[in-house]
Amino acid sequence: MRKILSFILGSILALNLTISVANSAAKEVRVAYFLEWPSPNLEDMQKKNFAKALGVPVKWTNFTNGGAMTDAMLAGDIDISYSQGLVPFINAVKSKAPIKLVDIAMEYGMGGTTCVTSNASGITKANATELEGKKVAVPLGTMAEYVFDESMKVVGADRKKMDIIQMDPEEGAAALVSGDVVMACLFGGNSIKAATAVGTRLLTVQEARDAGILGIDITSVTTKFMKENPGMLRTFIEVTHEANDRYRAGKSDMNSMSKASEMKVGDMKETLSGFKFLTPSETKQSMTKGNLDAFLKGMGTPRGNVDTSFLPL
Amino acid sequence: MFTQFITISILVSIVGCILYGRRLIKTEKVDAVFGNPERAKGGTHWIIVGSGAILLVWLYYSWDIAKGFYPKSANELCQVAKVNESLLGLKYQFPIEEREFKSTSIIKIENKNLQLITNEIQSSPDLNTQQKTILVGFVSKTKQLIPLLTNDNLVETDTKIKLKEMTEELRLLTANFKKKEYPYETDEERNERQRAVSEQGNWGITKVQSGTGSIENTIEVPLVPATSKGLKFDAAAKELEIISDKFFKLRNHNPQFKNSIKELKDKIKEYRSGLDDTGEVASTYAKDIVKIARRIEYASIYPPNALNEMQNAIIEFDNVQKSEQGGLRLVDMFLFPAGTIISSGTSCSEQGSGRWLPKPSDTLNKFILMSKPSVGYKNIPLLWIDMMDVSKIVGFILPDWIADILPGEYPIHTKDGVVEQNFKGKVLKVVTGDFKLFKIPVPYGHIWDSFLRVFLGLIFGILIGVPLGLFMGLNRFAKGFFDPLIELYRPVPPLAWAPLIISVLGIDNTGKVFLLFMVSLSIMIISARAGASGTQLSKIHAAHSLGASKKQILRYVIFPNSLPEILTGIRVAVGMCWGTLVAAEFLAGTTGIGFVENVAKKYFQYEVIWITIFIMGMLGLLFDVTLRKIIDKTIPWRGKG
Repeated sequence: MRKILSFILGSILALNLTISVANSAAKEVRVAYFLEWPSPNLEDMQKKNFAKALGVPVKWTNFTNGGAMTDAMLAGDIDISYSQGLVPFINAVKSKAPIKLVDIAMEYGMGGTTCVTSNASGITKANATELEGKKVAVPLGTMAEYVFDESMKVVGADRKKMDIIQMDPEEGAAALVSGDVVMACLFGGNSIKAATAVGTRLLTVQEARDAGILGIDITSVTTKFMKENPGMLRTFIEVTHEANDRYRAGKSDMNSMSKASEMKVGDMKETLSGFKFLTPSETKQSMTKGNLDAFLKGMGTPRGNVDTSFLPL
Repeated sequence: MFTQFITISILVSIVGCILYGRRLIKTEKVDAVFGNPERAKGGTHWIIVGSGAILLVWLYYSWDIAKGFYPKSANELCQVAKVNESLLGLKYQFPIEEREFKSTSIIKIENKNLQLITNEIQSSPDLNTQQKTILVGFVSKTKQLIPLLTNDNLVETDTKIKLKEMTEELRLLTANFKKKEYPYETDEERNERQRAVSEQGNWGITKVQSGTGSIENTIEVPLVPATSKGLKFDAAAKELEIISDKFFKLRNHNPQFKNSIKELKDKIKEYRSGLDDTGEVASTYAKDIVKIARRIEYASIYPPNALNEMQNAIIEFDNVQKSEQGGLRLVDMFLFPAGTIISSGTSCSEQGSGRWLPKPSDTLNKFILMSKPSVGYKNIPLLWIDMMDVSKIVGFILPDWIADILPGEYPIHTKDGVVEQNFKGKVLKVVTGDFKLFKIPVPYGHIWDSFLRVFLGLIFGILIGVPLGLFMGLNRFAKGFFDPLIELYRPVPPLAWAPLIISVLGIDNTGKVFLLFMVSLSIMIISARAGASGTQLSKIHAAHSLGASKKQILRYVIFPNSLPEILTGIRVAVGMCWGTLVAAEFLAGTTGIGFVENVAKKYFQYEVIWITIFIMGMLGLLFDVTLRKIIDKTIPWRGKG
């Protein structure tokens, strides 16, 4: 009996300890980022400039989607998420995750995230209400869902009347090709290439831009790291903005960036051409009363999760 | 109330069952020796202990026990978390939770960085001696900035006064904090607060919005302090926030430091502008040096003993706030295992096991809500009845071409814009189900769809797998012909087919059912084959000598003999099918339990995720129990041949 009791108490203690140990941070800064999503500061990552500037080792971990970044931050494995999508961030703060938005990584026209209707269905912007009652593929909970919502508002179709199928971009493209869906909303160069082979963009890049549909990737940070190491966070953002300045001046080392993002230089340049890296003051403008602010308000994000005080102004 | 009752009754029944079990051992006459299966018979009380323990662990780690017994604790801990959050920034400047002063560690890091850059400069092949001397000069100038900040005599009186003020403020707060009536709330403020408290609701699920068709995440820790203890912490947190902001704005910049750094920056700027293209490396190094200087400028570096008073004040306050927490600290320690309530400015949230392990009470709440057909998940109920006209079934069964092959033409509208129906048109209406008959109830919803997919996959697997397996067990050709095919496809995990499914079979049920069919088919073939080849030869000989035909031997000897194997195979296949279902429904989902889980994951709806896990467990169990009953009923000879 005593053995059983002590075993139970022991295991409870052990469980509590392991969970709390998992949450205690090491003396390094852990950053999440995306592959195949290039940015100028990856050059600094490749050349270990961040470690130099922060004075402690910086560990970069690549992720495949922004939701996983949030999960890792909440589990205490990541301190800073660079270029997390805004939609995953909003979903996270809506579920009261203690993370904060401190910088804009980049804004991009929705060339890289778009809705494509199949040519066979004959649906275009003009008769988009015909989408109602038909099947459309949307990767829910991503920027593509946002683009879908906004596009439907532009063309005046009712999302509630459509048969929305949760599909990742690659599968959405395949379903569009096979004719299972009449429209697929997707992101990523290869998926869009496959989809536009049998279809057309519902809104052209220019139309989407005119309608104010635009993507924003952000830098988010755990509240804990922000409170404990404000200096490091400021330095991190400063180095990033210096890299952006360098890129704007055309002085970035493309080879090292392409190595870091695991892309071919040509492909990377094409992707980069759709990105807009903001200056610190533009960033602040966007965060306080510009695009980002409008985006957050439009999605009904709880207030108080944006902090501009770390920008190198 | 309910949680309290459950917790206590579980505890009581666990203790009761353990005592009963121990008494049973003492009183029972045990003839069976160790190893005799008789000894494992019975033991319902241990089942109660087992399931009670699971429930208790769940209640404990989801912090539902805390919620049941101390419903206000989350709100109070939220206020404590606010204080801790405000304190965190201040504390980090001092060796309270860290090993050294923030100033010390910054100086250490920057000295190391300066040393590194010196080494790099000196060993750089791209710099000439003159550049090296100048750059090293800059480095040593930067290094000399630090003593200007850490020298006690140089600290300005203004800075000293400000530090003293902050220390006084902290002391005052500490003194006030001990008082019972702090923060001296007026009646007006109290009314205002109580109104806010009644609006914010309680800990747990508070409001449900089904506007977007999904059940919004509603994990809520009420933010406005509801108790007087909470109010105290809330007020203190606000004051601390102000002090902490003041501290972070304060810089120990005396005139000498300001002059030196300005001089250094100007010099470097001048030097860099004087360099031509060949001096690019030198320019970069100079820039790096400026960066370090700027970091030193931005960091709060103070002389070693200048902040002692403040540190003591902070520690003092920290101790007071800890003792003021009183019983709450124990609640936090024991009833909030593996985590606690964390504040992040505008909201409080559960961090730790309470976040990803939803409370049983909340989960039940949400489950009841989701079970309502009007709510469901993504506008589709979990399981409900839809009234469907029988005509739809008729239309589905009768092929449409029946109308096409009839003589005559389909009706064409007349000049008046009227369509007059003819016989061919009427037949078309019948075969497409476009008419009204009586309605019958049919189930639909996420659970039904998942169930149907598993069921169909299983049925097709049985229909094809069993005859094929028997055939392979009895016939040399079939064995030889199909064996390589089956053996090649069998070890492939069914999910390996998943990437192809959408391209080949589309996104409708066909693909998902096919995936499940692949799972069940191989299992059915193997088990039917083993059953057929395992038939005792003596039985076949006996039937043969009694004059049975081939068909009769198959029907009355081999098939009954392989039934136990086949039914065991079905049980295995059911388990495998449920395992594959979730992945199949991840592919392209509009309905199904796997789809619900997949979408819930994207919105961090932990309750929904757990609900789907439970539903799948329950459905799997239901299938298995049903099959066991069928096996016991239909083949009593199992295990006796």
